[in-house]
Amino acid sequence: MARNIASYRRVVGEESISQLRRLASQLQGRTVVHVNSTRYGGGVAEILEWLTSLMNDLGLQADWEVMEGTPPFFQATKKIHNGLQGFRVDFTASDIQAYDAAAEVNASRLRDKLSGANFVFIHDPQPAALLGSCPARRGKWIWRCHIDASRPHRPVWRWLEPVVSKYDASVFSMPQFARALPHPQFIIAPSIDPLSDKNRFLPESEVEDVARRFRLDPGRPILTQISRFDRFKDPVGVIRAFQMLRVSPRPQLALAGGGAADDPEGAAVLEEVRAGAEGDPDIHILDLPPDSHRAINALQRASHVIIQKSTREGFGLTVTEGMWKSKPVIGGDAGGIRLQVHDFHTGFLVNSPEGAALRIRYLLQHPRLSARMGASAHAFVRDNFLLTRHLREYLTLMLSLERGGTDRMDLP
Amino acid sequence: MNATPFHVRSCTLIVRMEGLPSAINLRELRDRVERCSPSCLYHHFVERLLRPTFDDPEFTNDFAAWAYRALGDTVLAERLGVLDPFSADSIEVLRSQVSEILEERLAEADHVPSVDPGKAFYFTCASMAVFDTGMRINEPSEILGALQRMTRASIYFHFVEGRFRRKEEGDDFSAWLRSNGELGERLAASFSGVDVAFFGLRSLRDDLVQRSQRVLEDKAERSQ
Repeated sequence: MARNIASYRRVVGEESISQLRRLASQLQGRTVVHVNSTRYGGGVAEILEWLTSLMNDLGLQADWEVMEGTPPFFQATKKIHNGLQGFRVDFTASDIQAYDAAAEVNASRLRDKLSGANFVFIHDPQPAALLGSCPARRGKWIWRCHIDASRPHRPVWRWLEPVVSKYDASVFSMPQFARALPHPQFIIAPSIDPLSDKNRFLPESEVEDVARRFRLDPGRPILTQISRFDRFKDPVGVIRAFQMLRVSPRPQLALAGGGAADDPEGAAVLEEVRAGAEGDPDIHILDLPPDSHRAINALQRASHVIIQKSTREGFGLTVTEGMWKSKPVIGGDAGGIRLQVHDFHTGFLVNSPEGAALRIRYLLQHPRLSARMGASAHAFVRDNFLLTRHLREYLTLMLSLERGGTDRMDLP
Repeated sequence: MNATPFHVRSCTLIVRMEGLPSAINLRELRDRVERCSPSCLYHHFVERLLRPTFDDPEFTNDFAAWAYRALGDTVLAERLGVLDPFSADSIEVLRSQVSEILEERLAEADHVPSVDPGKAFYFTCASMAVFDTGMRINEPSEILGALQRMTRASIYFHFVEGRFRRKEEGDDFSAWLRSNGELGERLAASFSGVDVAFFGLRSLRDDLVQRSQRVLEDKAERSQ
């Protein structure tokens, strides 16, 4: 879907749009190619769809290419991906062979376009070896690592480090996720699209319809955690917290997620969650299909409190999404949740089911304060975590690289 | 009266790693504060307002925030929090103030205080692009509308960075206002009462708007 920067004016204001146009005026006609490994599904594909579209709308010539590969290539990249996140994987010579072969096949298809571009953004490790297959590079090559690479499995990093070290720069989502590399490492936090189905304004009637569809009583408080059924998201801990609540009227808990069907670990966690919730009619386990964006949006809007009680987390965009809907968030004291949740301002950070139960009680007891925290959370996201800020930082990064990375650039 | 209009500028930031290892205890923080670049120190004291972070008026710089949140050392957080980058003669003076406080705290401790995993201090700095927004303020009475329209980044550039750049002269708005008659003088005097340390950019804008409104209403009452 083609996007248009002007449509964001009513969300972020005229001056923010004008600021983007001023920055982009310095980069008119520059060719930018983004490469990743999938066109559909996943956060990176979502980002590239709007990023490419908005860069074009601002006068750059942006394109998005996707790696093509064989099953052995994708098996290898899955191992690399998991290994970068710190999981022990059996990364073998045949994985390296499959990875290099795919890089060569894709390079022969994309070489001219990549070599001629002013900027090439390589997203995540899957396409990283393309750089080595394009020796006559004209522009700047940037490795954009979307995952937490702070504690990688050593054999995987030992192999990947020389590959990504050759880039002109790298980008990580948070300083905590960065690896030491011999080039500038920039920090660009993720963002949400306020006009997407997942985040756009919904009429009250649609919010109520969705709540009814999920058998939630609009007359009682709704607590919601949206996330994959994954142990690090601690859904069982959320149920324990809920079961500690002795408040009236009794709230309802919605645990909504997906991904269990194609993930054996996820299926096991979903079973544990179902077992934990058994016999409690106020706990609603919702295993949703991946395209349930509007339903999730409505569910968040129907909620009184959003929970994200992760024990380990990347940036935590579900927290950002909940805050955008003006809800206070009770979040696990982990990863990017710490950046977003500030006690008594936008929600509460917690470290245990007991802590979560205590803060839920507090918020239910103080509805006016809860509403103020929700408003503060919304303003915080508007100022910091919308895609317009994300785009602005990409443009500033390109200007910085083009001008030699000085601390200060005075633009004409 | 200065006939030159005020040119409203804005800026954008891209944060990058400083290239130093993160600090997981007080000794490492002290060592790295002594080695980091001036722009890194400036970033953690002043530019931090432009980063995607929560406007937390409790902490006036990243070191104080880390001392409180990660190290759990309220004494150190208070000592670091009171440092004023705007009144320090230079970044190097500020560096020596930070180093002295960290050294003193280390001497007071019977062990080197450390943080839990995941709560290290990360040294960052930034590249900033500055550009003219095309917005002009032709006379002091227009400042209210301009403040309401301009981005938070413009407020940062002219009021926060402006104060750091100009030191005693004050911020960019005030420097211009002072050469623009009695109303300009009164607005500048009102702006001089703002202690930047206790504002995020949104609340700073609200405060400047309120101050401007008060001065303009006062002028309107007097002229009736």
